Amino acid sequence: MSTVSQFALLFIGGALINNILLTRFIGLCPFFGVSGNMETSMGMSFAVVFVMMMASTATWVVWEFVLAPLGVGEFLYIPAFILIIASLVQFVEMYLRKASPVLYRAMGIFLPLITTNCAVLATATESAKPGFFKLNIAVGASLSLGQALIYTLGVSVGFGFALITFAALRERLELAGVPRLFKGTPIAFITAGLLSLAYVGFSGWFGL
Amino acid sequence: MDLVLIAKAIGALSLIGLITSSILSTAAKRFHVEVDVRVSEVAAALPGSNCGACGRPSCFAVAEGMVAGEIEPNACVAGGQSVADEIAAILGAATCEMASVICARNCGGGANATRVYEYAGVPSCAAANRLAGGPIGCAYGCIGFGDCERACPFDAIAMDERGLPVIDPAKCTGCGICVRECPRGQIQLLTLVPEAAPIVVRCNAHDKVKDRRGNCSMACIACKKCERECPHDAIHVVDMLAVVDYEKCTGCGTCVEVCPQKCIDFYGHRPGVDAVAADGRGPDTPEVASVSEGA
Repeated sequence: MSTVSQFALLFIGGALINNILLTRFIGLCPFFGVSGNMETSMGMSFAVVFVMMMASTATWVVWEFVLAPLGVGEFLYIPAFILIIASLVQFVEMYLRKASPVLYRAMGIFLPLITTNCAVLATATESAKPGFFKLNIAVGASLSLGQALIYTLGVSVGFGFALITFAALRERLELAGVPRLFKGTPIAFITAGLLSLAYVGFSGWFGL
Repeated sequence: MDLVLIAKAIGALSLIGLITSSILSTAAKRFHVEVDVRVSEVAAALPGSNCGACGRPSCFAVAEGMVAGEIEPNACVAGGQSVADEIAAILGAATCEMASVICARNCGGGANATRVYEYAGVPSCAAANRLAGGPIGCAYGCIGFGDCERACPFDAIAMDERGLPVIDPAKCTGCGICVRECPRGQIQLLTLVPEAAPIVVRCNAHDKVKDRRGNCSMACIACKKCERECPHDAIHVVDMLAVVDYEKCTGCGTCVEVCPQKCIDFYGHRPGVDAVAADGRGPDTPEVASVSEGA
């Protein structure tokens, strides 16, 4: 398989076919928490793309050069990755505050919030730790750094896409004639179920 | 063998921890952002309870905005005049007058309102409101489980025997937390009125007058008696509901006397009115309540 088509499959596989929110159900708290309006969901999606890319890079490097050579990765990867992601986000927050106040204000509260998001940890683990990556693509036992980054980009864009779609649907539902008993959260759950069904329809593309 | 592995694990985590913490501590110095000293002074003058009544996320954000000149020194609702004076002194601004407000309840329903079903769930207004719009027939009335009483940080709200929140004007700072916590705060069941407001209309129903009367014996029936009798032109029936104009109202009490539904009430600090009347109990509410329960 050529490198280009492999990268394309990694991206589509992460974004649509294995959408982290709607087919794998990881990171559902922001899916309901910040999907109330478009503006916050945009901010959240942007911050997730940013943090996921940074986190995958950092965990990949740490796995390759610290955890794997010492032979402690098999049982130590969760605390190590959490430690890395948390301090990375702290660092990025400090840096942004100094270097780009505009970006810092745009991301606002979402940056520290996704420090402990399970979607970030899951994607970082898949990218870094061999055996966790489950897509049926001939990439060998583990992902290279380039493959991991493309895959992470796919997952985070898929996260943002699902979140923004859902926020748009919820904004429309505010104005729709929803029966009184279903107004608010109940209809949001039903909508999420239908949206999830639609995303499951992607499975089977390219044999993924 | 095991001991070696344990040592390696401890070593690996300590190494990562050491590296990240040294990077972070260097970054904290390297990327340190200079903050105006006045920001911390203003932040110290503010109440610091982060109540959010001014519409900003925290007292510190307000302090930053005040120093930057984006927010007026009198923006702190909970702090009142004394805090505004203090901040104006720090910033060198002219002293600002506070237009202080307090919370008022625009519903006289409670025991007088009809129920459409028996609610047996969690005793919370927010929960009850989600179950087909609450057990009260009136879509604008007080549900009566006291979410506002629990939310009030100043202990100014108490639920009375009618199942209605009674606001103590002496304790109320007008922070507006109850208005936000109330599931019907957005449709103005609770509103912030000028602190000197002498009169308040205890009905907020915007549906048809006939429906209102079926739902509640205290509802405003838009008879316009108050509008005709008011000597100061300070109360008007707007969209079939009596509304007080606080610019003109003097608190003479004419409307309170003529209202056939007893849904207009004294409120706030009115000279000559004792504490019980001032806290918002209508003059002869208990009789009306008992009639309604019998019916």
